[in-house]
Amino acid sequence: MIIFSIDHKVIGKQYIGLALFSVVLGTLLSLIMRFHLVYPDAKVRLFQAMWPDGAPGGQMTPELYLSLMTMHGTIMVFFVLTTAPQSGFGNYFLPLQIGAHDMAFPVLNMLSFWTTALSLLTLLAAFFVEGGAPLSGWTAYPPLSGLGRITGPGEGLGQDLWILSIALFCVASLMAAINFIATIIELRAPGMGYFDMPLTCWGWFVTALISLFAFAVLLAGGILLLLDRTAGTSFFIPGGLIVNDQVQSRSGGSPILFQHLFWFFGHPEVYIAILPGMGLISTVLSVFSGKKVFGYKAMAIALVSIGGLGFVVWGHHMFISGMSPYSSIAFSVLTLAVGVPSAVKTFNWLATLWGGRLRFTAAMHYALGFVSLFITGGITGLVLGQPGLDVYFHDTYFVVAHFHLIMGVAAIFAIFAAFHYWFPLMYGRFLNERLGKVHFFLTFLGVYAVFVPLHFAGFVGNPRRYPDFKEYEFLKSVMPLHIGVTHAAYFLGAVQLIFLFNYFWSQRHGAIAPANPWNAATREWRND
Amino acid sequence: MTNVARTGQMVLIAASAMFFAALTSAMVVRRGLSGDWAAPALPAWAFATILLPLLASWFVHTGRIGIAALAGAALVASQFALLANLQLARIAGAFCFVLIAAHAAHAAAGAAALARFGARAAIFWHFAGALWIYVLFLFGVWA
Repeated sequence: MIIFSIDHKVIGKQYIGLALFSVVLGTLLSLIMRFHLVYPDAKVRLFQAMWPDGAPGGQMTPELYLSLMTMHGTIMVFFVLTTAPQSGFGNYFLPLQIGAHDMAFPVLNMLSFWTTALSLLTLLAAFFVEGGAPLSGWTAYPPLSGLGRITGPGEGLGQDLWILSIALFCVASLMAAINFIATIIELRAPGMGYFDMPLTCWGWFVTALISLFAFAVLLAGGILLLLDRTAGTSFFIPGGLIVNDQVQSRSGGSPILFQHLFWFFGHPEVYIAILPGMGLISTVLSVFSGKKVFGYKAMAIALVSIGGLGFVVWGHHMFISGMSPYSSIAFSVLTLAVGVPSAVKTFNWLATLWGGRLRFTAAMHYALGFVSLFITGGITGLVLGQPGLDVYFHDTYFVVAHFHLIMGVAAIFAIFAAFHYWFPLMYGRFLNERLGKVHFFLTFLGVYAVFVPLHFAGFVGNPRRYPDFKEYEFLKSVMPLHIGVTHAAYFLGAVQLIFLFNYFWSQRHGAIAPANPWNAATREWRND
Repeated sequence: MTNVARTGQMVLIAASAMFFAALTSAMVVRRGLSGDWAAPALPAWAFATILLPLLASWFVHTGRIGIAALAGAALVASQFALLANLQLARIAGAFCFVLIAAHAAHAAAGAAALARFGARAAIFWHFAGALWIYVLFLFGVWA
């Protein structure tokens, strides 16, 4: 039965379908948020129809804005950026690239997908329960997330569903990680050493290792948070807390403890999103340059280094939490050290291009776009890695611009590259190259038009997470910039229809692809 | 036992160890932050349950898988009895509850795996047994 298939290709496509649905939903939520930011007093009948309590008379409440922000972040981080590059393309192509007949544990693989699907349904159910979706952002910091309905609409059952969804996602990700690691260790083709694997496999391998340790910690944090909400415990709730004029009965808990547990997962999560893309981009640049990847071993070691360093830098998300300056310095130095393997990768990508016979296919365009976005988004990481600067920038749009470029858009460009590169193997046809290039140029223009200006909003001190800026005199000068960003976001959203059309149309009507149309050297092109 | 089964279990053990390490580190930090820590008083018989995973591992070693799985089930039952008497309102009791419940999930999974896969699931079972000794050490000695 194809629905509960244990075939890795079917499961890979199921993950990709889930991620496509999620990215459309997450994008729509962000467009609604952008609309509200520039027209906060607008009354929209559609909003009232969709959220009668959240938009009475059609005007969005601050709480509804926060719930959209929470759901946008959660959907994009977990169900798009974690799901598509690793579980989607990884499931489909890892066994083919290492010469295995399937993943090591096919039934576990099927269970992993359906647990992910259940997790998504649980999350989306939060929209439909009393109070609606939660308000506490994708980071779900307590005490806001730990006290229940008293802290606002959405903090009742909606927040419970959010935590349950993330716990399910953790379990699914752990199952997937076990499968990926066991497959790579045990099922490589005879004679294939670790340093014979394509860099895509290295990307999936390191990502699976990161997932294994990071999601285990998030699961622990999620369980403790759920108990604070439902069983009256005080893991994260401090004593003497007054919420809505009511003294809370808990004592002794530490919200900062949750932040440590969350960011021990949360920073590696950035690499879970980007490392599979790094592996793929290395392959795409190599294939369309007609050269081997420059510095293959250094590239593999850099992936491992980035993954390893990712576990010792979580404190840079907490510079403003009141941590000791000595700890800040340690986290800062380690954070800046991530720049070393990142620079190794970037220069090796450029060296791979150097002197090559370049073929500017659509996949190559996206790969070059990825390198550009990785540099642009990465440079601001060096800014935010310094405590003195982060104290100013932390709660501003500078951070929004930074993480969207580096872990959001760069990773999505890698996904676009993956679609164009592997579509012939997945469907026996090409994605339309001309449409792909048009989509690339418009998207490339759109993402820079949206996210570069947001850095300047950050310079001004424009706070993030605020649903409405009109009350703040110092932000009046930024409003024209926000209006421009919102229009650019609508342009960017509309442009994605080109890709969706190309994706679905080409499955039936794309040009028939011959075997190995790109003259690639990796095994997946030989197996089919 | 195939290499795939062995490797799969080793990776699962790494994930479980990380999960318990996260709970333990949270407990160490939480205990150090506030003055409301009062060690939970586990009944004396709780420490006798250490024999159950040891016996189960010995039964696995000697090929009596069915009896090993039953010993595992008995461990889970005894853990449920312990959970029923813990006070969640006290933070040490809450941590004790979480760690014992988390172990019960592992022990139940281990016993079920023994019943389903026989000696192929032995590695995970031995780990679950060692983990129970660790949990009892935490609350019998450290906490």
